[in-house]
Amino acid sequence: MKLKVYTDRMSQPSRAIIIFCKMNRIDFEEVRIDLSKAQQRREILFVDCAVLFAEINPMRQVPAIVDGRFKLFESHAILRYLVCTFPGVPDHWYPADVSNRARIEAILDWHHSNLRRGSASLVFNSVLAPKFGLPLNLEAAKEAEKILDSSISKIEGIWLKGKLRSSCWEIFQPSIADPQPSLCEIMQLELLDKKDRERILNPHKKILQWIENVKVATNPHFEEVHAVLYKVRAKLHSNPSSISGESIKSGPKVKLSPKL
Amino acid sequence: MAELKVYADRMSQPSRAIIMFCKMNKIDFEEVKVHLATGQHRNPEYREINPMQQVPAIVHGSLKLFESHAILRYLACAFQGVPDHWYPSDLSNRALIDAILDWHHSNLRRGAAALVFDTILAPIFGRPLNPQAAEEAEKILDSSLSKIESLWLPGNAKFLLGNAQPSIADLSFVCEIMQLELLEEKHRERIFGPHKKILHWIENVKAATNPNFEEVHAMLYKTKEKIHGKMSDDAMKSGP
Repeated sequence: MKLKVYTDRMSQPSRAIIIFCKMNRIDFEEVRIDLSKAQQRREILFVDCAVLFAEINPMRQVPAIVDGRFKLFESHAILRYLVCTFPGVPDHWYPADVSNRARIEAILDWHHSNLRRGSASLVFNSVLAPKFGLPLNLEAAKEAEKILDSSISKIEGIWLKGKLRSSCWEIFQPSIADPQPSLCEIMQLELLDKKDRERILNPHKKILQWIENVKVATNPHFEEVHAVLYKVRAKLHSNPSSISGESIKSGPKVKLSPKL
Repeated sequence: MAELKVYADRMSQPSRAIIMFCKMNKIDFEEVKVHLATGQHRNPEYREINPMQQVPAIVHGSLKLFESHAILRYLACAFQGVPDHWYPSDLSNRALIDAILDWHHSNLRRGAAALVFDTILAPIFGRPLNPQAAEEAEKILDSSLSKIESLWLPGNAKFLLGNAQPSIADLSFVCEIMQLELLEEKHRERIFGPHKKILHWIENVKAATNPNFEEVHAMLYKTKEKIHGKMSDDAMKSGP
Protein backbone atom coordinates (compact mmCIF):
# COMPACT_ATOMS: atom_id res chain seq x y z
CA MET A 1 0.00 0.00 0.00
CA LYS A 2 1.37 3.37 -1.04
CA LEU A 3 2.34 5.95 1.58
CA LYS A 4 -0.43 8.54 2.00
CA VAL A 5 0.49 12.06 2.94
CA TYR A 6 -2.33 14.32 4.12
CA THR A 7 -1.48 17.91 3.40
CA ASP A 8 -2.63 21.42 2.83
CA ARG A 9 -0.02 23.22 0.73
CA MET A 10 -0.82 26.41 2.61
CA SER A 11 0.66 24.67 5.66
CA GLN A 12 4.37 25.15 6.18
CA PRO A 13 5.11 21.70 7.63
CA SER A 14 2.99 20.06 4.89
CA ARG A 15 5.22 21.60 2.26
CA ALA A 16 8.34 20.34 3.97
CA ILE A 17 7.09 16.74 3.92
CA ILE A 18 6.20 16.93 0.24
CA ILE A 19 9.55 18.46 -0.71
CA PHE A 20 11.38 15.79 1.27
CA CYS A 21 9.44 12.94 -0.37
CA LYS A 22 9.98 14.34 -3.85
CA MET A 23 13.69 14.99 -3.25
CA ASN A 24 14.16 11.40 -2.14
CA ARG A 25 11.87 9.82 -4.74
CA ILE A 26 9.63 8.38 -2.05
CA ASP A 27 6.47 7.16 -3.74
CA PHE A 28 3.41 8.69 -2.12
CA GLU A 29 -0.17 9.71 -2.68
CA GLU A 30 -0.92 13.27 -1.64
CA VAL A 31 -4.36 13.69 -0.10
CA ARG A 32 -5.20 17.36 0.04
CA ILE A 33 -7.18 18.72 2.93
CA ASP A 34 -8.37 22.31 2.97
CA LEU A 35 -8.71 22.88 6.69
CA SER A 36 -9.88 26.47 6.33
CA LYS A 37 -12.91 25.34 4.34
CA ALA A 38 -13.66 22.51 6.74
CA GLN A 39 -13.42 24.92 9.64
CA GLN A 40 -15.80 27.34 8.03
CA ARG A 41 -18.18 24.52 7.09
CA ARG A 42 -18.59 26.05 3.66
CA GLU A 43 -18.96 22.83 1.77
CA ILE A 44 -20.31 19.51 2.93
CA LEU A 45 -17.56 17.67 1.08
CA PHE A 46 -14.94 19.38 3.13
CA VAL A 47 -16.84 18.96 6.38
CA ASP A 48 -16.92 15.23 5.66
CA CYS A 49 -13.23 15.44 4.92
CA ALA A 50 -12.57 17.03 8.28
CA VAL A 51 -14.56 14.39 10.13
CA LEU A 52 -12.83 11.55 8.29
CA PHE A 53 -9.50 13.27 8.66
CA ALA A 54 -9.93 13.23 12.43
CA GLU A 55 -9.67 9.46 12.19
CA ILE A 56 -6.28 9.90 10.57
CA ASN A 57 -5.15 12.65 12.92
CA PRO A 58 -7.23 13.37 16.00
CA MET A 59 -5.36 16.66 16.34
CA ARG A 60 -7.05 17.65 13.04
CA GLN A 61 -3.86 19.22 11.80
CA VAL A 62 -1.75 18.68 8.73
CA PRO A 63 0.50 17.07 7.82
CA ALA A 64 -0.26 13.49 8.73
CA ILE A 65 0.73 10.22 7.10
CA VAL A 66 -0.63 6.73 6.80
CA ASP A 67 1.92 4.03 5.99
CA GLY A 68 0.09 0.72 5.81
CA ARG A 69 -1.72 0.60 9.13
CA PHE A 70 0.55 3.10 10.79
CA LYS A 71 -0.74 6.64 11.29
CA LEU A 72 1.51 9.51 12.33
CA PHE A 73 1.29 13.26 12.86
CA GLU A 74 3.77 16.03 13.79
CA SER A 75 5.99 16.92 10.84
CA HIS A 76 9.35 16.38 12.55
CA ALA A 77 8.31 12.91 13.71
CA ILE A 78 7.14 12.21 10.15
CA LEU A 79 10.46 13.36 8.66
CA ARG A 80 12.46 11.18 11.07
CA TYR A 81 10.23 8.20 10.30
CA LEU A 82 10.51 8.65 6.52
CA VAL A 83 14.30 8.96 6.66
CA CYS A 84 14.63 5.77 8.66
CA THR A 85 11.95 3.73 6.89
CA PHE A 86 12.59 4.38 3.23
CA PRO A 87 15.78 3.04 1.68
CA GLY A 88 18.28 5.19 -0.16
CA VAL A 89 17.80 8.48 1.72
CA PRO A 90 21.25 10.10 1.84
CA ASP A 91 22.80 10.32 5.28
CA HIS A 92 23.07 14.13 5.32
CA TRP A 93 19.31 14.49 5.76
CA TYR A 94 19.43 12.85 9.20
CA PRO A 95 22.91 11.55 10.01
CA ALA A 96 23.43 8.16 11.53
CA ASP A 97 26.24 9.62 13.65
CA VAL A 98 24.60 10.24 17.04
CA SER A 99 26.33 13.57 17.68
CA ASN A 100 25.55 15.08 14.28
CA ARG A 101 22.02 13.77 14.54
CA ALA A 102 21.65 15.30 18.00
CA ARG A 103 22.63 18.74 16.69
CA ILE A 104 19.84 18.52 14.11
CA GLU A 105 17.41 17.35 16.81
CA ALA A 106 18.22 20.46 18.81
CA ILE A 107 17.25 22.70 15.87
CA LEU A 108 14.04 20.75 15.25
CA ASP A 109 13.07 21.04 18.92
CA TRP A 110 14.03 24.70 19.26
CA HIS A 111 11.89 25.54 16.24
CA HIS A 112 8.47 24.98 17.85
CA SER A 113 8.61 27.74 20.48
CA ASN A 114 10.71 30.11 18.42
CA LEU A 115 10.67 30.37 14.64
CA ARG A 116 7.34 28.53 14.29
CA ARG A 117 5.67 30.47 17.04
CA GLY A 118 6.85 33.83 15.72
CA SER A 119 6.40 33.35 11.99
CA ALA A 120 3.12 31.41 11.97
CA SER A 121 1.49 33.71 14.50
CA LEU A 122 2.62 36.85 12.66
CA VAL A 123 1.23 35.70 9.32
CA PHE A 124 -1.98 34.36 10.84
CA ASN A 125 -2.75 37.42 12.93
CA SER A 126 -1.90 39.97 10.26
CA VAL A 127 -3.15 38.24 7.10
CA LEU A 128 -4.68 34.76 7.25
CA ALA A 129 -7.13 34.83 10.15
CA PRO A 130 -10.19 35.94 8.10
CA LYS A 131 -9.73 32.89 5.85
CA PHE A 132 -10.54 30.84 8.95
CA GLY A 133 -13.42 33.06 9.99
CA LEU A 134 -11.37 34.81 12.69
CA PRO A 135 -10.48 38.48 13.14
CA LEU A 136 -7.03 39.88 12.64
CA ASN A 137 -5.11 40.58 15.85
CA LEU A 138 -2.49 43.22 15.30
CA GLU A 139 -1.31 43.21 18.91
CA ALA A 140 -0.61 39.48 18.76
CA ALA A 141 1.09 40.04 15.39
CA LYS A 142 3.38 42.64 16.95
CA GLU A 143 4.40 40.26 19.76
CA ALA A 144 4.92 37.49 17.23
CA GLU A 145 7.20 39.69 15.14
CA LYS A 146 9.50 40.20 18.13
CA ILE A 147 9.79 36.43 18.60
CA LEU A 148 10.37 36.00 14.86
CA ASP A 149 13.09 38.61 14.70
CA SER A 150 14.85 37.13 17.72
CA SER A 151 14.60 33.66 16.16
CA ILE A 152 16.03 34.75 12.83
CA SER A 153 18.92 36.45 14.63
CA LYS A 154 19.60 33.25 16.55
CA ILE A 155 19.60 31.14 13.39
CA GLU A 156 22.14 33.49 11.85
CA GLY A 157 24.25 33.82 14.95
CA ILE A 158 24.32 30.16 15.94
CA TRP A 159 23.65 27.94 12.93
CA LEU A 160 24.86 29.98 9.96
CA LYS A 161 28.20 30.97 11.41
CA GLY A 162 30.24 30.52 8.24
CA LYS A 163 32.30 27.49 7.34
CA LEU A 164 34.20 26.86 10.60
CA ARG A 165 34.47 23.09 10.54
CA SER A 166 35.25 22.99 14.22
CA SER A 167 32.03 24.74 15.12
CA CYS A 168 29.52 22.64 16.92
CA TRP A 169 26.67 24.53 15.39
CA GLU A 170 27.34 24.38 11.67
CA ILE A 171 24.89 22.75 9.36
CA PHE A 172 27.23 20.95 6.96
CA GLN A 173 24.72 20.28 4.22
CA PRO A 174 20.95 20.24 3.86
CA SER A 175 19.32 18.20 6.57
CA ILE A 176 15.70 17.73 7.53
CA ALA A 177 16.11 20.91 9.60
CA ASP A 178 16.64 23.04 6.48
CA PRO A 179 13.44 22.75 4.46
CA GLN A 180 11.60 22.03 7.66
CA PRO A 181 11.33 23.52 10.04
CA SER A 182 13.13 26.50 8.86
CA LEU A 183 12.71 27.41 5.21
CA CYS A 184 9.07 26.46 4.68
CA GLU A 185 8.26 28.44 7.81
CA ILE A 186 10.09 31.52 6.57
CA MET A 187 8.45 31.18 3.15
CA GLN A 188 5.08 31.76 4.81
CA LEU A 189 6.22 35.37 5.19
CA GLU A 190 5.63 35.68 1.43
CA LEU A 191 2.01 36.32 2.39
CA LEU A 192 2.92 39.55 4.14
CA ASP A 193 2.94 42.90 2.39
CA LYS A 194 6.22 43.24 0.47
CA LYS A 195 7.34 46.20 2.59
CA ASP A 196 6.81 44.24 5.82
CA ARG A 197 8.62 41.22 4.46
CA GLU A 198 11.59 43.31 3.37
CA ARG A 199 11.66 45.11 6.70
CA ILE A 200 11.82 41.78 8.53
CA LEU A 201 14.22 39.86 6.28
CA ASN A 202 16.51 42.43 4.65
CA PRO A 203 18.65 43.08 7.75
CA HIS A 204 19.46 39.36 7.76
CA LYS A 205 21.78 38.81 4.80
CA LYS A 206 22.88 35.34 5.93
CA ILE A 207 19.28 34.20 6.06
CA LEU A 208 18.61 35.50 2.57
CA GLN A 209 21.69 33.66 1.29
CA TRP A 210 20.68 30.48 3.09
CA ILE A 211 17.17 30.68 1.60
CA GLU A 212 18.73 30.75 -1.87
CA ASN A 213 21.04 27.85 -0.99
CA VAL A 214 18.18 25.63 0.15
CA LYS A 215 16.04 26.60 -2.87
CA VAL A 216 18.87 25.65 -5.23
CA ALA A 217 19.39 22.36 -3.40
CA THR A 218 15.69 21.45 -3.49
CA ASN A 219 14.46 22.85 -6.84
CA PRO A 220 12.45 22.20 -8.97
CA HIS A 221 10.40 20.69 -6.14
CA PHE A 222 10.69 23.80 -4.00
CA GLU A 223 9.04 26.08 -6.53
CA GLU A 224 6.40 23.54 -7.50
CA VAL A 225 5.38 22.91 -3.90
CA HIS A 226 5.20 26.63 -3.14
CA ALA A 227 3.04 27.43 -6.18
CA VAL A 228 -0.16 27.51 -4.07
CA LEU A 229 1.42 29.97 -1.66
CA TYR A 230 2.50 32.24 -4.52
CA LYS A 231 -1.03 32.13 -6.01
CA VAL A 232 -2.54 33.11 -2.67
CA ARG A 233 0.01 35.88 -2.30
CA ALA A 234 -0.87 37.24 -5.76
CA LYS A 235 -4.59 37.19 -4.92
CA LEU A 236 -4.04 38.82 -1.56
CA HIS A 237 -2.04 41.69 -2.82
CA SER A 238 -4.18 42.36 -5.89
CA ASN A 239 -7.40 42.23 -3.87
CA PRO A 240 -6.96 42.20 -0.08
CA SER A 241 -10.70 41.52 0.46
CA SER A 242 -10.34 38.25 -1.46
CA ILE A 243 -8.81 36.62 1.60
CA SER A 244 -12.13 36.38 3.41
CA GLY A 245 -13.55 33.04 2.46
CA GLU A 246 -13.09 32.60 -1.27
CA SER A 247 -12.03 29.21 -2.43
CA ILE A 248 -8.41 28.81 -3.36
CA LYS A 249 -8.02 26.71 -6.48
CA SER A 250 -5.06 24.62 -5.39
CA GLY A 251 -5.28 21.92 -7.98
CA PRO A 252 -7.59 18.95 -8.36
CA LYS A 253 -9.82 18.42 -5.34
CA VAL A 254 -9.45 14.97 -3.85
CA LYS A 255 -12.57 13.31 -2.58
CA LEU A 256 -11.59 11.53 0.60
CA SER A 257 -12.67 7.93 0.39
CA PRO A 258 -14.42 6.66 3.52
CA LYS A 259 -12.36 3.46 3.19
CA LEU A 260 -9.03 4.58 4.64
CA MET B 1 33.82 7.15 27.44
CA ALA B 2 34.20 10.93 27.72
CA GLU B 3 32.92 12.65 30.83
CA LEU B 4 29.34 13.90 30.69
CA LYS B 5 28.47 17.28 32.20
CA VAL B 6 24.84 18.24 32.69
CA TYR B 7 24.14 21.93 33.16
CA ALA B 8 20.88 22.17 35.07
CA ASP B 9 18.67 24.04 37.47
CA ARG B 10 16.40 21.65 39.35
CA MET B 11 13.68 24.31 39.27
CA SER B 12 13.61 23.76 35.50
CA GLN B 13 11.26 21.03 34.33
CA PRO B 14 13.40 19.77 31.43
CA SER B 15 16.52 19.87 33.65
CA ARG B 16 14.85 17.46 36.05
CA ALA B 17 13.95 15.11 33.21
CA ILE B 18 17.60 14.87 32.12
CA ILE B 19 18.87 14.27 35.65
CA MET B 20 16.24 11.61 36.30
CA PHE B 21 17.04 9.84 33.03
CA CYS B 22 20.75 9.75 33.87
CA LYS B 23 20.13 8.45 37.39
CA MET B 24 17.59 5.85 36.27
CA ASN B 25 20.09 4.51 33.73
CA LYS B 26 23.15 4.82 35.97
CA ILE B 27 24.80 7.19 33.52
CA ASP B 28 27.79 8.76 35.19
CA PHE B 29 27.62 12.55 35.05
CA GLU B 30 28.67 15.74 36.75
CA GLU B 31 25.77 18.06 37.54
CA VAL B 32 26.78 21.69 37.05
CA LYS B 33 24.23 23.91 38.71
CA VAL B 34 23.10 26.97 36.79
CA HIS B 35 20.97 29.15 39.01
CA LEU B 36 18.36 30.83 36.82
CA ALA B 37 16.91 33.10 39.50
CA THR B 38 20.25 34.88 39.93
CA GLY B 39 20.85 35.05 36.18
CA GLN B 40 23.77 32.62 35.97
CA HIS B 41 22.48 31.47 32.60
CA ARG B 42 23.27 34.91 31.23
CA ASN B 43 26.98 34.72 32.12
CA PRO B 44 29.39 34.86 29.15
CA GLU B 45 30.94 31.57 30.36
CA TYR B 46 27.60 29.81 30.11
CA ARG B 47 26.95 31.27 26.67
CA GLU B 48 29.97 29.25 25.52
CA ILE B 49 28.15 26.12 26.69
CA ASN B 50 24.70 27.07 25.37
CA PRO B 51 24.30 30.15 23.18
CA MET B 52 20.54 30.00 23.84
CA GLN B 53 21.38 30.65 27.50
CA GLN B 54 18.86 28.16 28.78
CA VAL B 55 18.96 24.97 30.79
CA PRO B 56 19.44 22.09 30.43
CA ALA B 57 22.52 21.67 28.29
CA ILE B 58 25.14 18.96 28.17
CA VAL B 59 28.80 18.68 27.23
CA HIS B 60 29.94 15.22 26.24
CA GLY B 61 33.42 15.12 24.73
CA SER B 62 33.39 17.61 21.87
CA LEU B 63 29.58 17.71 21.72
CA LYS B 64 27.73 20.60 23.26
CA LEU B 65 23.98 20.09 23.12
CA PHE B 66 20.85 21.90 24.24
CA GLU B 67 17.06 21.22 24.01
CA SER B 68 16.02 18.53 26.49
CA HIS B 69 14.36 16.21 23.98
CA ALA B 70 17.46 16.24 21.77
CA ILE B 71 19.52 15.48 24.89
CA LEU B 72 17.25 12.63 25.98
CA ARG B 73 17.34 11.05 22.52
CA TYR B 74 21.13 11.42 22.41
CA LEU B 75 21.66 9.89 25.85
CA ALA B 76 19.35 6.97 25.02
CA CYS B 77 21.37 6.22 21.88
CA ALA B 78 24.91 7.09 22.96
CA PHE B 79 25.09 5.18 26.25
CA GLN B 80 25.25 1.41 26.43
CA GLY B 81 22.72 -0.52 28.39
CA VAL B 82 19.81 1.93 28.27
CA PRO B 83 16.71 -0.30 28.14
CA ASP B 84 14.80 -0.13 24.90
CA HIS B 85 11.54 1.09 26.47
CA TRP B 86 12.98 4.56 27.05
CA TYR B 87 13.34 5.22 23.31
CA PRO B 88 12.44 2.11 21.30
CA SER B 89 14.52 0.99 18.38
CA ASP B 90 11.33 -0.13 16.58
CA LEU B 91 10.71 2.67 14.10
CA SER B 92 6.96 2.91 14.50
CA ASN B 93 7.04 2.92 18.30
CA ARG B 94 9.86 5.42 18.24
CA ALA B 95 7.95 7.65 15.81
CA LEU B 96 4.93 7.70 18.11
CA ILE B 97 7.12 8.86 21.00
CA ASP B 98 8.72 11.46 18.71
CA ALA B 99 5.27 12.79 17.82
CA ILE B 100 4.37 13.21 21.51
CA LEU B 101 7.69 14.92 22.29
CA ASP B 102 7.15 17.32 19.36
CA TRP B 103 3.53 18.03 20.29
CA HIS B 104 4.61 18.91 23.82
CA HIS B 105 6.36 22.21 23.03
CA SER B 106 3.32 24.14 21.77
CA ASN B 107 0.81 22.44 24.04
CA LEU B 108 1.58 21.03 27.49
CA ARG B 109 4.81 23.01 27.86
CA ARG B 110 3.30 26.22 26.63
CA GLY B 111 0.28 25.92 28.90
CA ALA B 112 1.83 24.60 32.10
CA ALA B 113 5.02 26.67 32.12
CA ALA B 114 3.27 29.94 31.30
CA LEU B 115 0.55 29.31 33.91
CA VAL B 116 3.07 28.75 36.70
CA PHE B 117 5.29 31.63 35.59
CA ASP B 118 2.50 34.17 35.26
CA THR B 119 0.77 33.09 38.47
CA ILE B 120 3.69 32.51 40.83
CA LEU B 121 7.27 32.64 39.54
CA ALA B 122 7.54 35.89 37.59
CA PRO B 123 8.54 38.09 40.58
CA ILE B 124 11.51 35.81 41.29
CA PHE B 125 12.78 36.84 37.86
CA GLY B 126 11.97 40.50 38.37
CA ARG B 127 8.83 40.42 36.20
CA PRO B 128 5.24 41.22 37.13
CA LEU B 129 2.56 38.56 37.41
CA ASN B 130 0.17 38.45 34.44
CA PRO B 131 -3.27 37.08 35.36
CA GLN B 132 -4.58 37.47 31.80
CA ALA B 133 -1.72 35.48 30.30
CA ALA B 134 -2.17 32.93 33.11
CA GLU B 135 -5.84 32.53 32.19
CA GLU B 136 -4.99 31.90 28.53
CA ALA B 137 -2.27 29.47 29.54
CA GLU B 138 -4.67 27.54 31.75
CA LYS B 139 -7.00 26.97 28.80
CA ILE B 140 -4.10 25.56 26.77
CA LEU B 141 -3.07 23.39 29.73
CA ASP B 142 -6.56 22.02 30.25
CA SER B 143 -6.93 21.22 26.57
CA SER B 144 -3.51 19.54 26.59
CA LEU B 145 -4.33 17.39 29.62
CA SER B 146 -7.57 16.31 27.92
CA LYS B 147 -5.70 15.35 24.75
CA ILE B 148 -3.11 13.37 26.69
CA GLU B 149 -5.85 11.43 28.43
CA SER B 150 -7.94 10.76 25.34
CA LEU B 151 -5.12 9.98 22.91
CA TRP B 152 -2.22 8.58 24.91
CA LEU B 153 -3.68 7.06 28.07
CA PRO B 154 -6.23 4.66 26.61
CA GLY B 155 -8.19 2.44 29.00
CA ASN B 156 -6.10 1.60 32.06
CA ALA B 157 -2.85 2.59 30.40
CA LYS B 158 0.06 2.66 32.81
CA PHE B 159 2.24 4.91 30.71
CA LEU B 160 1.87 7.08 27.62
CA LEU B 161 0.80 5.22 24.47
CA GLY B 162 -0.38 2.37 26.65
CA ASN B 163 3.20 1.20 27.10
CA ALA B 164 4.01 -1.20 29.90
CA GLN B 165 7.09 0.80 30.87
CA PRO B 166 7.94 4.51 30.80
CA SER B 167 9.62 6.26 27.89
CA ILE B 168 11.45 9.58 27.65
CA ALA B 169 8.06 11.12 26.81
CA ASP B 170 6.71 10.08 30.23
CA LEU B 171 9.73 11.69 31.91
CA SER B 172 9.43 14.92 29.97
CA PHE B 173 5.69 15.23 30.58
CA VAL B 174 5.73 14.33 34.25
CA CYS B 175 8.46 16.87 35.05
CA GLU B 176 6.43 19.54 33.24
CA ILE B 177 3.24 18.69 35.11
CA MET B 178 5.05 18.55 38.47
CA GLN B 179 5.80 22.26 38.07
CA LEU B 180 2.13 22.81 38.88
CA GLU B 181 2.99 21.84 42.49
CA LEU B 182 3.99 25.49 42.85
CA LEU B 183 0.38 26.60 42.47
CA GLU B 184 -1.95 26.98 45.45
CA GLU B 185 -3.56 23.71 46.45
CA LYS B 186 -7.10 24.83 45.54
CA HIS B 187 -5.94 25.92 42.11
CA ARG B 188 -4.20 22.62 41.56
CA GLU B 189 -7.30 20.70 42.63
CA ARG B 190 -9.39 22.71 40.18
CA ILE B 191 -6.99 21.91 37.33
CA PHE B 192 -6.63 18.22 38.05
CA GLY B 193 -10.21 17.60 39.19
CA PRO B 194 -11.42 16.65 35.70
CA HIS B 195 -8.26 14.66 34.95
CA LYS B 196 -8.18 11.53 37.10
CA LYS B 197 -6.26 9.54 34.49
CA ILE B 198 -3.46 12.10 34.60
CA LEU B 199 -3.24 11.77 38.40
CA HIS B 200 -3.14 7.99 38.13
CA TRP B 201 -0.43 8.17 35.45
CA ILE B 202 1.69 10.52 37.58
CA GLU B 203 1.63 7.93 40.39
CA ASN B 204 2.68 5.23 37.93
CA VAL B 205 5.66 7.27 36.73
CA LYS B 206 6.64 8.09 40.32
CA ALA B 207 6.51 4.43 41.30
CA ALA B 208 8.61 3.45 38.28
CA THR B 209 11.25 6.13 38.87
CA ASN B 210 11.53 6.41 42.66
CA PRO B 211 13.60 7.10 44.70
CA ASN B 212 15.13 9.26 41.95
CA PHE B 213 11.82 11.05 41.32
CA GLU B 214 11.46 12.34 44.88
CA GLU B 215 15.12 13.20 45.21
CA VAL B 216 15.20 15.22 42.00
CA HIS B 217 11.99 17.06 42.93
CA ALA B 218 13.13 17.92 46.48
CA MET B 219 14.12 21.45 45.49
CA LEU B 220 10.73 22.06 43.89
CA TYR B 221 8.97 20.94 47.08
CA LYS B 222 11.17 23.22 49.22
CA THR B 223 10.45 26.17 46.96
CA LYS B 224 6.75 25.39 47.18
CA GLU B 225 6.87 25.48 50.97
CA LYS B 226 8.77 28.75 50.91
CA ILE B 227 6.35 30.39 48.49
CA HIS B 228 3.21 29.26 50.27
CA GLY B 229 4.68 29.89 53.72
CA LYS B 230 5.49 33.45 52.65
CA MET B 231 2.03 33.88 51.10
CA SER B 232 0.40 32.79 54.39
CA ASP B 233 2.61 35.24 56.31
CA ASP B 234 1.70 38.07 53.94
CA ALA B 235 -1.99 37.20 54.25
CA MET B 236 -1.77 37.25 58.05
CA LYS B 237 0.09 40.59 58.08
CA SER B 238 -2.49 42.22 55.83
CA GLY B 239 -5.18 41.30 58.37
CA PRO B 240 -8.81 40.22 57.82
